[in-house]
Amino acid sequence: MDAEVRKRPRLDRPRMEAKQVLDRLIDDFPDNPDAMGYFYDLFRRTYCDGQPDPLGGTAVGTLCVQVPEEVIRAAGGVPVRLCNGFHAHDQVGAEFMPAKSCSLVKATLGVLQDKAAAPFLDAVDWIVNPTTCDQKKKAGAMIEGMGYNVHALEMPPVKESEEARIYWQRSVMRFAEAVGDMTGQRVTGKGLRRAIKQVGAAQAAYRRLNALCRISPAPILGKDIFLLTNAYFFDDIERWTEAVERLNDELEQRREQGFSAAQKRSPRILFTGSPPIFPNLKLPLLIEQSGGVVVADETCSANRLLYDMVAVDEWNAYDMMEALADRYLKPCTCPVYTRNDDRKRRLLDLAATFGVDGVVYQAFAGCHVYEMEYRDIADTLGQANIPVLYVETDYSPDDLGQLSTRVEAFVESLKNRRKKAR
Amino acid sequence: MNVFMGIDIGSTAIKVAAVDEERHLIGSKTGPTGSHFHRNALDMFNGLMAENGINQEAVAYTVATGYGRKLFREADDSISEITANAAGAREADRTSGEVRTVINIGGQDSKAIQIDPMGHVANFAMNDKCAAGTGRFLDVAARNLEIDLEEMGDYHFEAQGAPLAINSTCAIFAESEIIGLLANGHGKGEIIAGIHYSIARRTVRLAKRVGIEDRVYFDGGPALNKGLVAAIEDELDRELVIPDIPQITTALGAAVLAQDAWVQEQ
Repeated sequence: MDAEVRKRPRLDRPRMEAKQVLDRLIDDFPDNPDAMGYFYDLFRRTYCDGQPDPLGGTAVGTLCVQVPEEVIRAAGGVPVRLCNGFHAHDQVGAEFMPAKSCSLVKATLGVLQDKAAAPFLDAVDWIVNPTTCDQKKKAGAMIEGMGYNVHALEMPPVKESEEARIYWQRSVMRFAEAVGDMTGQRVTGKGLRRAIKQVGAAQAAYRRLNALCRISPAPILGKDIFLLTNAYFFDDIERWTEAVERLNDELEQRREQGFSAAQKRSPRILFTGSPPIFPNLKLPLLIEQSGGVVVADETCSANRLLYDMVAVDEWNAYDMMEALADRYLKPCTCPVYTRNDDRKRRLLDLAATFGVDGVVYQAFAGCHVYEMEYRDIADTLGQANIPVLYVETDYSPDDLGQLSTRVEAFVESLKNRRKKAR
Repeated sequence: MNVFMGIDIGSTAIKVAAVDEERHLIGSKTGPTGSHFHRNALDMFNGLMAENGINQEAVAYTVATGYGRKLFREADDSISEITANAAGAREADRTSGEVRTVINIGGQDSKAIQIDPMGHVANFAMNDKCAAGTGRFLDVAARNLEIDLEEMGDYHFEAQGAPLAINSTCAIFAESEIIGLLANGHGKGEIIAGIHYSIARRTVRLAKRVGIEDRVYFDGGPALNKGLVAAIEDELDRELVIPDIPQITTALGAAVLAQDAWVQEQ
């Protein structure tokens, strides 16, 4: 009897979720690039088998794309982005938050309350939490209450003014001073320079991949792009960079052989709004299972994470810090800022350069800033005659049936528009 | 003669329609989805052919739509019910005018579709994940009131004065609200009119999201309910176009799209 009890499969909802999504992501699509195998295996090890790779340094948790990771690396630390995408953790986190709040914040709180709940957490003592939206701001104190040290990285509510720039630069300086306590090592000019170059190399690899996505028909599917940018959250940066370059080489080779990931007439989608974070790849997967292909994104888990590079004039510590601070403020298109004309410009630019047929706008229910910004963005896209599908959703799989109908209908309508245009 | 079939496998009912090369409706059939939906779908499909003397060989192309569209392997292709509904509404109303807005209430969802002057879907909205204010809601209400679904339309017009306000469009919570109203001595007519207005308000709000343009076409099973039609017309302040067989618009659309696809392949 006892032996039989022990043989029963252990109920572990996060692992079940991870496995289900990975299976869908891999098996439902034919001819995945061989080089994606690296990322598939990485996620299987980390989230399905409970065997994450060692981090290779003192872990510093981050809760947003706005944390200048170079500063952590310059002090010998390893940034681990803890923004969470699991429905199981969302349900746990619901206990800490009002009913109508964002799944991402809830899931992150949900996972943090138990160090054994997910990979890497046992190694995390310090968490850097930029003061972005209200929910993330207020979550900071709760996370402290869970036994972590939290550094609130102060962010200005606007980004155009000189005052905001100075405020942010000082905030980043203060962070650079504090990071020594987190890693036990001071930030040095030499360390900064090495970190900027290391991150720069990763970004160069991403940019090469990004440029490949301009090709029609698309050489790679968006679900794979989201997965590999998600891997950047925790993977060893140099190994990650090599894996992306290998993928780039393979995609170029495939292209020469006339092989593509999408059909010639697959509608090309630009994905914007609340970030898809593994395993919540519900919407990108639905788009691509419905015959569309995500060729570009404007989200903080992918493009916004890796596209913009630090522009250093003089390689001295002061200039590097200033350049770093600017890179994390100026190009950011997060809806927390009071005005966000940059986001509109970026979307129009992405739509034009990637030959986009339509935009899918994801807003997590309870994410007020993305929800509120929709009207304005929809107007802008409407004036440019770009169709947009607005999807308000969360981490729960309840709405899959409904969503698949909506997404399919949107993809069909984009195909019909093309017919009309001809 | 070639025949084109459309099958709409919904959450509550399966609808089949057949058209000829001129896109004229040859026949249609409606039945419950049930738990053996695949067998029921096949029965309905074959039943329609038998009733209209259609041979297996005559069926040139079949398109499936609705929630079960992907599970019906006998079809040549499948298409979302939004595209099919728009195509069906245009076809059904072709002789009398140009449909620009379609409101559909189904067994577990409601939709509003805007059609551009070229006849393509320009914009659409669907209710969110719960079945509030859909056909299922009417079902539950009828059961609570111990009347047949078909009688609801007549009761609507028996209500005197202002209809009762039903606050909940959730099928579960409305149940207790309806029981409470009955306990307080309210008549079935008043309650039913209240239910219709509550669905109407929700539906019109959905339609306003996509933008309402003349002509507005209303289909799906609940369009058979004249009381609900009147309530939506009041709320919308516009007349609705109701097809002869409102349940089959989407199946008809699938059949028309099957004919389209066949022509393109030739």
